[in-house]
Amino acid sequence: MAKRETPLLDQLESGPWPSFVTDIKRQAETKPECWDILGILELSYKDRITHWKHGGIVGVFGYGGGIVGRYADVPEQFPGVEHFHTVRVAQPASKYYSTENLRGLMKLWEKYGSGMTNFHGSTGDIILLGTRTENLEPFFWDLTHDMNQDLGGSGSNLRTPANCLGMSRCEWSCYDTEECCHSLTMKYQDEIHRPAFPYKFKFKFSGCPNDCVASIARSDISVIGTWRDAIRIDQAAVKEYVAGNYPANGGAHSGRDWGKFDINKEVINLCPTNCMWMEGSELKIDDKECTRCMHCINVMPRALRPGVDKGASICVGAKAPILDGAQFATLVVPFIKVEKENEFEELTEFIEKVWDWWMEVGKNRERVGETMQRVGLPTFLSVMGIDAIPQHVKEPRSNPYIFWKEEEVEGGFERDINEFRAKHKA
Amino acid sequence: MALSKEELKKAIEEKAANSPKPQLYIKDFYACDPDTKPRDMKNVANEMVREGRLAFWSSGSTTMYGIPARIQNEEGSGS
Repeated sequence: MAKRETPLLDQLESGPWPSFVTDIKRQAETKPECWDILGILELSYKDRITHWKHGGIVGVFGYGGGIVGRYADVPEQFPGVEHFHTVRVAQPASKYYSTENLRGLMKLWEKYGSGMTNFHGSTGDIILLGTRTENLEPFFWDLTHDMNQDLGGSGSNLRTPANCLGMSRCEWSCYDTEECCHSLTMKYQDEIHRPAFPYKFKFKFSGCPNDCVASIARSDISVIGTWRDAIRIDQAAVKEYVAGNYPANGGAHSGRDWGKFDINKEVINLCPTNCMWMEGSELKIDDKECTRCMHCINVMPRALRPGVDKGASICVGAKAPILDGAQFATLVVPFIKVEKENEFEELTEFIEKVWDWWMEVGKNRERVGETMQRVGLPTFLSVMGIDAIPQHVKEPRSNPYIFWKEEEVEGGFERDINEFRAKHKA
Repeated sequence: MALSKEELKKAIEEKAANSPKPQLYIKDFYACDPDTKPRDMKNVANEMVREGRLAFWSSGSTTMYGIPARIQNEEGSGS
């Protein structure tokens, strides 16, 4: 493949930031087909339209996901990218890698693909960019047999589940996110590898409400660790923070002088539900009003810790902005136990109930959050068998989406109009 | 009463062969037998893919099914 002249793309190298153009040129020194990536992109810049055709029937035998077909619509001009399929490889839980594994993956991709990667895609997978159809099966064989790794999800499948570091590195994790993610990944292999749904479906696991894996914004079912008893307070440590003997935020943001630590300014007045106050030198928390925002715990980690009755909240329905804009997940189950001992039974029961309903009611290419929005939260809660609670209601007056049914109202909806009018003028 | 698995496969094949669209969503097959649960329907459709009677077409975000001979194949089709 000949070197391409790319005057438009070259401008992208002129700024102070790292440039993907430079990266691709470097890769083209060993993989000449990468010049054709630059060539086809330069042409798209000139023509102001893409020259990629998206989708197709590529895949590996037995799998209905993990490969995204991509073809050039000008293959004669750019034969190096005539086929340029993307391969999604499931990332290890919490994205822990050994250098041996990374070197092995790269060796494999240099052998069968362009050598270009994207660590990681939005869902979390390792994205390997650019290979030909005839390389897919040999690559898949080596990946599964030599590397003991698997493809991730794509299409109308369950997408590769993702989790935060959980208990492996984090004292705040309220359940074992790694174990949960791994167990559910193994349980739902069929849903990951073969299309099952009206559209894509993602779940992600965060150990605490800091939500380091951003599950509330990125997943159809977001499992966020929480606790239902009181925040544990070490009053002696609170005093040390107030005296300035312990650095706030575990010493993060210490690159400049922020002045003396002020518990009122930096913690109490920032509490979103105003549920904290000082009584003398003691910090008090009205835990029933706490929304688990984690701010106080983040600022004073040696003084405050999550409670001991731990589990998770389940939020449903986040999505990216294809229809109606981006949407955060809605709290559906405030607290659920997430336990390895019963194989995460409560969680899997909930997940499968959502699937059964959505597969039936969801329209083609409709995310579960959009289905919920279409039918309304009361309907969704009733299908899930969940009683509405005040926390489900975002704005009770302007958005009263909890309605009474006749059987729930004493005396029903029938009334004697004359008796009513005797007390209420029209 | 739900169709037998083989009857359902035939109904799916017929729908995929006669539909004006070369590839269909999984939900399009639900009408083949309203008594079959969606999960069973996708199991049957996926089994038909393994048997070569259907093939997947994926855009990357959505997956559709079609008769292998009818399905839109971008490979080698040029511009």
